[in-house]
Parts: sequence; C-alpha cells; structure tokens
Amino acid sequence: MTESKTARLLTLALSAALLLAACGPPVQKSDYFGKVEPPPGQTLRYITGSEPESLDPQMSSGQPEARLDIALYEGLVEYHPKTMEPIPGVAESWKVNSNASEFVFFLRKNARFSNGDPITARDFVYTFRRGLDPALASRVAFLAWEIKNAEAYNTGGSFVRDPKTGRFVLASEAAESGGAAGQAAGPVSGEDAAPDTEFHRRMHEPDRLFVPTDEKEREKALKADPKLAALVEGKELVPATAEDVGVEAVDDYTFRITLRQPAPYFMGLVAHQFFRVVHQPTVEKYGVNWTKPGNIVSSGTHMLAEHKPYNQLVVVKNPYYWDADKVRLDKIVFYPLDDQTTMMNLYKAGEVDATYNHTVPASWLRAGVRYARDYMDAPENGSVYWQVNTTAPPLDDKRVRKAFALAIDRQALEEFRVVSKANNVFVPTGILHGYPSPKGYDFDVEGAKKLLADAGYKDGAGKFDPKKFPANSIEVIYNTSESNRQVAEFVQAQWKQNLGLTIPLRAIEWKTFVQTRAKLEYKGFAGGAGWSGDYMDPYTYLGLFATEGGDNGTGWFQTKFVDMLNAANREPDQAKRYEQLSKAEAYLLDECPVIPLSKPATSWMKKPYVKGMYPNPATLHAWKFVYIEHDPAKWDQSMPDMTNDQIAEAKE
Amino acid sequence: MKFRFILRRLLVTVPMVLVVITLTWALIRLAPGNFYASERKLPPAIEKNIRAKYGLDRPWYVQYGHVMRNILSLDFGNSLKYENETVNDILRRTLPVSAAVGTCAYLLALLVGTVLGTVAALKQNSKLDYGAMGVSMLGISVPNFVLGPILVLVFSLSLYWLPPARWDGFPSWSMVLPVLTLSAIYMAYIARLTRAGMLEVLRSDYIRTARAKGLTERQVVLRHALRGGLLPVVSFTGPALALLITGTVVVERIYALPGLGTYFINANLNRDEPLILGIVAFTSVLVLVFNLLVDIAYGFIDPRIRY
Repeated sequence: MTESKTARLLTLALSAALLLAACGPPVQKSDYFGKVEPPPGQTLRYITGSEPESLDPQMSSGQPEARLDIALYEGLVEYHPKTMEPIPGVAESWKVNSNASEFVFFLRKNARFSNGDPITARDFVYTFRRGLDPALASRVAFLAWEIKNAEAYNTGGSFVRDPKTGRFVLASEAAESGGAAGQAAGPVSGEDAAPDTEFHRRMHEPDRLFVPTDEKEREKALKADPKLAALVEGKELVPATAEDVGVEAVDDYTFRITLRQPAPYFMGLVAHQFFRVVHQPTVEKYGVNWTKPGNIVSSGTHMLAEHKPYNQLVVVKNPYYWDADKVRLDKIVFYPLDDQTTMMNLYKAGEVDATYNHTVPASWLRAGVRYARDYMDAPENGSVYWQVNTTAPPLDDKRVRKAFALAIDRQALEEFRVVSKANNVFVPTGILHGYPSPKGYDFDVEGAKKLLADAGYKDGAGKFDPKKFPANSIEVIYNTSESNRQVAEFVQAQWKQNLGLTIPLRAIEWKTFVQTRAKLEYKGFAGGAGWSGDYMDPYTYLGLFATEGGDNGTGWFQTKFVDMLNAANREPDQAKRYEQLSKAEAYLLDECPVIPLSKPATSWMKKPYVKGMYPNPATLHAWKFVYIEHDPAKWDQSMPDMTNDQIAEAKE
Repeated sequence: MKFRFILRRLLVTVPMVLVVITLTWALIRLAPGNFYASERKLPPAIEKNIRAKYGLDRPWYVQYGHVMRNILSLDFGNSLKYENETVNDILRRTLPVSAAVGTCAYLLALLVGTVLGTVAALKQNSKLDYGAMGVSMLGISVPNFVLGPILVLVFSLSLYWLPPARWDGFPSWSMVLPVLTLSAIYMAYIARLTRAGMLEVLRSDYIRTARAKGLTERQVVLRHALRGGLLPVVSFTGPALALLITGTVVVERIYALPGLGTYFINANLNRDEPLILGIVAFTSVLVLVFNLLVDIAYGFIDPRIRY
C-alpha cells in the first residue's frame, strides 16, 4: 500500500466516523435527550453558567450568581417558581401603602442564619445600607435608588443646608429649573401599617436636594447649572450617610422601606439577590473573604460546603433554615460552565440534570432537540425590537413607521430563529399574569401598503408605489453579532418581498453602536436592541420611554405618554393599574417609535425526574421547591404546564 | 564556564519578563472595554464608585508603578473579577491541573512518538514506515478542536465509557480524553522529528564504527543512534513543555478543565488585569527557563557543544 492510499483510507475512516456520529438517530417527539437515570438520593447536578464572580449577594449582578444566591441567601420575599411573583421569604407577610411608596414587612420569628443566629429587621437594615455603601462599589446598587435618600448616599452626595435657618434645600426647588439631580415628588403618607417614629416622619419630609460631595465634580455640576449654583451659594454641605437611607427596623421583626416616590413595581425587585440578607458579624470579621468556605455564614435553604472555582460549587441543606422540613434537595452541585457544546455533552451523557437558559445551540435545536420532551421552551422576560429614529424623514411620519411594523411575518421569524418567539407588542406577552396586552401589529401587508400610500408614496391610481419611497435614504444599523445579522437579513427580505423596498443593512461594533443610537446619528432603524426585564412588571419596558435620554434612543418622547405612566403608577389597584399601563402601551404602539419583533425563549433542558423546577420567565429557581423524583411513573412527560400557579409536590 | 553561562541567561530573563509585562499592560489599556462593563450601561455615579475603589481614577504612571511594584515583589494582588481571590492563589490552584494534563500528554507523546519515529527510521520505506508517518500526518493535520469532540462522541456519548468533560482530580478517568486530545499533535511531531534525526544519524560515520566494532543492532540503536537522533526532539521539548504545562486553552475549554488556560482566556475576556499580568509573567518565565534547560541539556547530550 502506498502512503497516499493509506492516508486516503484513514481519511475515509475518519469521515465515516464523523458522519456516523453526526447522523445518529434524530430526536423524536416522544424521546428525551440522552441518558435518563436519576442520581441516587436528593442531589441535583446543575449547570448555572460562568464561574460566579462573587458569592456576595450585594456584589454580584449576573444570572449565574443569582441562581447560587437563591440557594445561599434568603430575602424578605422569594420568587414564585412559576410566575416569579414575590412569595413569603423571611417576611411572612407585608403591607403596601395606598400609593406604593412605603412597604412594611413582618418578619417570621423563626428565621435563622446558617450558624443559628436569628435573622431580625436590623440585619436587613445592615444589608440594605451595606449594598448602598459607595465604598463597596456594587454594580447593581442602582436597583435600590428608589429608596429614600439611597441615591444621595450611594453616589457620594451631600445635602445642602442653610447655615442660618438650618433648613435643607429641597429637590423640588432645583427641579423647577429643569436641571439638577433628585426627584420632585415626595411620598404621600398613607395609612400606617407600623408605628410612627421620628425616623419615619423624617422620611416623609419632602426630598432634599443633593450635590456631589467631591469638590471637582460639584464644581462641574454647578458650572453647568447656574440656577443650581445659586441655590448652593453660601450654604453648607451635609454628606448623606447610611443612616439617611429610608430603611428602618421598627422593631426586631418589623422592617419598613420608604421610597422617594410611588413605585408599585418595587415589590418585584425585593427578591433580587441585592436585597438578600447577609450576616453582619461575618462580613465585618472577614472583609472581602467572608464568602469563602469556612468563613461564610448564609441565610438560605442551603449553605456552602465546597467551592472549587471553574470546577464545582457544592451546597448542602441548611438545618437552621426556617422551612427546612420542606426543603427536599440535600445537595446541589453547581457546575460553572458556559460552553454550549460541553454542557450539552454532559447533559446527554447524564452527568448533569438540568442547565440554565439559552444553553441549547440553535443547530442542535434544528437537528431535532427542540422536539425532545425535556426541552424547556417557554417565553422569557425580554423583548427584542428595533428602534426607529423618529426625528428624520421619512420615518418622522408615524404611518410610515407603522407600515414597516406591519409588513413583517413574525411567525416566520420565530420558525427561522428557533430560539425566540414571535411578539407583536412591546411588552412581551404571556409572562406577566393579569396584564392585558393591547392589540399588536398583525402581519398585514395590505394595511402597510395603504398606510404608505396615505403618507404620499403612491402612483396616479392612489396605490402604493415603492419607487416613490426613498428607501436609500434610510438604513438598518445593528451591532455586530451573528444572531443580529440573521434577524436583520430576515426583516430586510420581508420588507423587500412585502413592500418591494430594499433597506440597506450596516453592522457596527457595539460601543460605537450604542453611541450612534443614543445621539440619534442613525437614519432609519437601529436593530439588535433588546431589553430584558429587571422585574416582573410592564413598567420595566414602558419606563424606557419615560425619559428622553437613557436607553430610549428613538427621539420619541411625549409628556402625554409619561403622564399616562405616572397616572397608572399612582393607581393602588393592580388590575386597574395594569389596564392603564396597557392603554399607555397601546398609545406607544400607535406612535410606533419601536418595531417589536420577538421575545427570547428560555431554551434549556431538564431531565424528567427533576420536579418543582419550571421554565419561568427569568430562569431563576427557588431551590426549596425542587426535588428528584425516583418513581418513573411521576416523571414529567413534557414541559411542565405553565398556565397555572401550581407547584409540584412530592408525596411521601 | 557553564555556571557563568547559566547566570548570564538568568539575568537576561528578568528584564525580558518586565518588557513582556509592560507590553501586555499597555495592550490591556488599549483594548476597548473594562472589567466591570456589561451589556447594560451603568449609571455614571456607580461607575465612579468602582473606578475609585480599584484606583482606576489615578494617572496611568501611578497605576503602572503600582503594577511594577507588585510584580517585583512577586505579589500580583487580587483578581478584579473574582474579588476575594489573589492571583497567586489562582496560579497555585490551576497550575497543578494544567501541569498534570500537560505532563501526562507530553510523556505519552514522547513514548509513542519516539517509538514510532525510531521504528519508521529503522524500517525506512516499509509499510511500517508509511503507516507510522501516515498516522503522524493525521495527528498534525487534525486540530484538537476537531479531535476532542470526536473522542467525546465515541467514548462518552456513544459508548458511555468516559466522562465527556469536567475535572475529577489526578489521577482520574476524566483525564484520559484531554490527555489523548492534547498529546496527538505532539506525538506526531515527535515521531517525525525522531524519524528525521534517526535517519541522519544512522548514516553517520560513528554508527558505522559502532557496527564495525561488532555491537549488536540493539546496542547500536539504543546507546549510540538514539542519543544523536533525539537532539531535535530535545530542542522541541523546551517550549512545547512550557506551553503544555501552562495549559492549552482549546483543550481546557472543550473538557471544561479548571486549568491555567481556562483562566487565561477568561481573564482576557473579563479584562482582569492583575490576573492577565500574573499568568503572562508566569508563562514567560516558564518558557525562558525551559529554553535555558534545553540549552543545558544539549551540553550533556551532544558532545560537540561547549559553552
């Protein structure tokens, strides 16, 4: 045999092996993906994403950390495993005042840290103040800025006081000038759920003005705003301290939060890891090393047993947890992994029991994995949309914007993308219980053409004429990424087919893209944008258009819309509030500064024997409900039913 | 003589490492992004808190001085991303993983490679030679990101013999696939280097002399020919071993090993400056030291070389 023959034979053998492996039997609708063999006992092996940057709940911002923090720490409330709505945690109940600016939590008396110390309202005061400490420099501290004086303290601000009268300058005085930090609206005192205190009365004084304590920054701020400078002139500065923040231990088991303005959505934030309780003596004793095994004292259903970075993190049941009898999992082994193929291999080989969201590669899904019975394909708390620059023609005409929104077949996009679901409104449908979504953009080519004809792009017969439309004067920009490119090309093709308009595409590097969009330096559409909700409330989306700057990026800003949102947020009745927000969304859709396209799918895998774990909209799991079912008769036959609030429970 | 040579080389190592670190530091500064950036824009006040905490608001020369002071005292400080871990801790923990896999892979490659190479050279132009060289050609041409998944498909997902990824300590079954994947290309190189070296040596005069003395073929090959024939392998070993020990990014990623390579790639993606500098400094020292060792080894193996 010659050398070339040998080589040819080897190549052949290799390609045969590859082909064989690649074309294994396709996954059938009736199949689970890979090995289905529960591990002995109550141990869950879970892939949570990249190595956690920190186990300190006030420091970590990501989802991988959030899932670990849920095991290690408990907050006032916990996430409902299906709906993500707040359910009792350390607080067994709570009361919200009529305009949602004050929240009183009643803590259970048997809540304990993992060393047996009781958890009291003072621990929450410490936790909240710690998170806001500028020296801690938490990235997510802004989540708490709605709390009275929290922003002033966290950003190193100083209140401005008249040395003669001792009176503080109010935020409202500066706000009248249109500039300056701070909010004008002070909280309205409602019925008191807990005893009034001096601190409480102080929290209900109107918001104070604050300016940067740092001299250089203050000078800059004052220079930019002469009115502010005049207000500060001759006054003394009083730095905001932790004690100014609107959190109060009324007694050992009553914790009160006062906000600077009504924020009904705040309740949806309280389960975030940033607000989960930490053990003061441990944090103070070990400093930055307090979360290391051996040092850490935690408060959740489980406690840290082992942490080998980039390898595994093991938590075991916390015997002091107040509801320890209900906690089923003795042990959770977290594997920090973010390579999709590697984790799917581990899942298929039966070495892990579940993965986190967006873990199944699109090519595997197309190859059939999406039909597997253990594929978790539910909508997520996110919205993918394109922004429109509403300040330049021809898109300054809302009929034109709407025409483009109507001429996209979103079902076809869903089928093409596999990892996202059609969404024809701005706030994702089907994830916010009780929120009545307004009527969205149906796929309506005739309607689109009619709108364009109405806008003046018509021939002699009054029909829409693509040649009349200046398609070349606009373009679609998107930040460079494979999936953005796919979506952009798909929508481009849709517009070409349906309207006969070819809109050019242009990919831009992310950091430039963000700037171009913020400064409205694009003409046409800015694609690739998406928003994942910070909390379970329509306001996390609609609020994007409550400011002119920030992440708005469309140039569309109307006080009418902002007033609608504010009116809704003052409404104490949740159902009525949702109705009003829905009307605001309908108005937004009619104005059409954004073209909604889709919402992400959860897209993860879970073995059928893992029960009590659901494809909820944020893929955050309250571990106390999760367990391993060893009886095959009770295994999940498909994705768990998400249309009701029922949580699976193991029968002894 | 030899001592002075070693000393001189060691003295050169220090400034070279400092130059490498300075360049790396400058490159990190030039690269867009920073360790705290994420998809969503942070409020400026929060960013200010972070920059103050990590001293990023000070002038660049102060920061550079700080970095150099740290490095000269062999303390790289804390990682920026994993706040409660020092870079030294990370090096201490990850090096054994990478070193275990790398060393095993190299030993395997050395064993199989030299045997294949020697056999091929002795039976030049035979079926054995073509077979061995064909296999080694394949080893060189199939990249490890192709070989790895194939091995996983066969041994983990079809036969369920070996775990498809993750690290269970040393020694364990989890090492088998990474070691095989990693060693393939080195095996192939070594086989080809050995074959070429041996072919050259076998034709040289001193081998003819050895044969003329009446030594057995076994003695000729093992005692005389191999010593000269392996010289190319020795010079290849220095840098190769240094790179293997400090982890190979691709294999560690495919098999999710908690080694130096995994940390290195993530440190870069995270813009984790102290960690990047620590790993770069460590790797460059290792490469320089291994090259020095190779040069010294030459002196012992090759009687023609004098320092």
